[in-house]
Amino acid sequence: MVLNIGLYMVGAIILFFIGIYCIVAKRNAIKTVIGIEIITTAIHLNFIALGIMVPPYGVVDPLAQGIVIMSMIVGAAIATLALMLIIRIYGHYKTVDLRKVSRLRW
Amino acid sequence: MESFLILYPIITLVVAAVLVPIISLIGKALNFEKLREAFTIAGFLAALYMLFNLYQELKTVKDGLLTYRIEGFGPPFGVIFVVDWLSIFMASLFCGLGLMAAIFSIRYMEEDSGLERYYTLLFTLVTGMVGVAFAGDFFNFFIFWETMCVSSYVLVSFRIRLWEPVEAGFKYLVMSTFGSLLVLYAMSYLYGLTGTLNFAYIAKAISDISTPTILYFLIGLIIVGFGIAAAVAPFHTWLPDAHPAAPAPISAMLSGVVIKAGVYGIIRLLALVLHPAPIDWSIFVIVLAIFACLTMTVGNVMALLQNDIKRLLAFSSVAQIGYITLALSVGLFGGVIGIYGLTSGLLHVMNHAIMKGLLFLCAGAIIHAAGTRDLRELIGIGHKMHGTAIILTVGALAISGIPPFNGFISELAILLATINAGMGLFAAIMLANIIIGFSYYLKLLYMLVWQSPKENLQNVKEAPFSMLLPMAILAILCIVIGLWPQPFIDFASKAAESALNFTTYISII
Repeated sequence: MVLNIGLYMVGAIILFFIGIYCIVAKRNAIKTVIGIEIITTAIHLNFIALGIMVPPYGVVDPLAQGIVIMSMIVGAAIATLALMLIIRIYGHYKTVDLRKVSRLRW
Repeated sequence: MESFLILYPIITLVVAAVLVPIISLIGKALNFEKLREAFTIAGFLAALYMLFNLYQELKTVKDGLLTYRIEGFGPPFGVIFVVDWLSIFMASLFCGLGLMAAIFSIRYMEEDSGLERYYTLLFTLVTGMVGVAFAGDFFNFFIFWETMCVSSYVLVSFRIRLWEPVEAGFKYLVMSTFGSLLVLYAMSYLYGLTGTLNFAYIAKAISDISTPTILYFLIGLIIVGFGIAAAVAPFHTWLPDAHPAAPAPISAMLSGVVIKAGVYGIIRLLALVLHPAPIDWSIFVIVLAIFACLTMTVGNVMALLQNDIKRLLAFSSVAQIGYITLALSVGLFGGVIGIYGLTSGLLHVMNHAIMKGLLFLCAGAIIHAAGTRDLRELIGIGHKMHGTAIILTVGALAISGIPPFNGFISELAILLATINAGMGLFAAIMLANIIIGFSYYLKLLYMLVWQSPKENLQNVKEAPFSMLLPMAILAILCIVIGLWPQPFIDFASKAAESALNFTTYISII
């Protein structure tokens, strides 16, 4: 059976741009974190899909799965940290709207 | 050559990070709270000693490469540590500035709570950076990179009860994570193209790749990803918020070495891993040089407008990253010109770590004494703090490139390397920027040291000894490197040669 890797890669690219849209356009801090998570997922999908394609053919490369598992752990740590900071932001500003959380200038 | 010594600095730092909370508890039980600080300093000294051992071992190896295969599994599947002169150069900078920050923190952080977490995070931050420098494949590189990033996010927002660290920390987290993810995305495609994550095997496989067009796209992702971490304009917007919001020793670490980890990533990936690829490198030389000019101009012009001492220093860091990036773009030429360019860049990496660490520690001492960061409130504080004023003057003159100090050597070297590579226009832009940089450091010195003190500073006292000591060490280093640069230039040029010498790297591993 031949898997169509290209389909997964296109899916990853679409997910990647959805994530970028989330970070750039959404002003809710939690939606920004969701955007980061979507990009992480897109990259994981890309890694797993490419892990089938690399030689030796017909065997799924465990290296790709290894780095995806490590990346999931890191992603969980970053999401936890980001949500902790959002709770603190809410405590200081009484809002999670990033347009209003901008006392610092450029 | 296989060497177990590679693991020792990393193991020392990790074990110290784990032991800090336990030592802290023991210290509390013994009524001797400073045991924690003493242990931290001992930990950094031990790590530096291990690095020195590694340096001695590296000297004995003819081709200048040490490797360690974890559990004996070799590439392309196993995880591998590789140490060459560039790695040891960067790692000793990371550890050395970590030691200075730890000594400075003894008095600076004593009023904060949760110090056992602070020192643990300081250790994990340095562990991450040393691991990034020693990594021989993307697997290691990614894990240590994220260790470094997560530690620095927490350290930036360490004083979480204030609004500024929280806001700056969140901004830093979002932007820097996005940068790491871009690099990871590029990694996944490199893995798909070559079937391995090992640097040397990727370099081997990439030279006869069938579709080189995609590499332009991947190198763009890598430059942007590491550019965010290294604060290359226009991706620098997190830096002037995050660096001032952190406690002063952490600002020194972030501005001195953490952004240099991004620079190291660019050097490692573009000069070694992707350099054998059959593509036109001159495009990236120009792209990097334009980024560099943009970065230094933005940094310097914005620094001119600041009234906050730490924001001024943070924007100055952006400008200095511009100089370093210009040197890197020359380094991409390869050959003798490239080695010359990269040597000057690495020399400036070292000098900037020393100078900016020094300036941020000075700023910390001043803020600790006066309780404000506003330059207009701090007018004439040098008259009350003589030691700090002398050291601040050394640092400010060094970073603006005045001859007897170290900044002059490396800025001149970058200028000469740029002209040598036939990029005279960029050298002219850099020269103009150095003059602008001098002007705002003169303003800083005029306001803080020259003018007579204001009334609100009557009760200001000199900084305590444990703050002055790391500042004095860094100031002496500024003068020593300025007067006797030859051994440091030799070290940097060895590092640059081994960074550009991908044929040896590929053949050894």
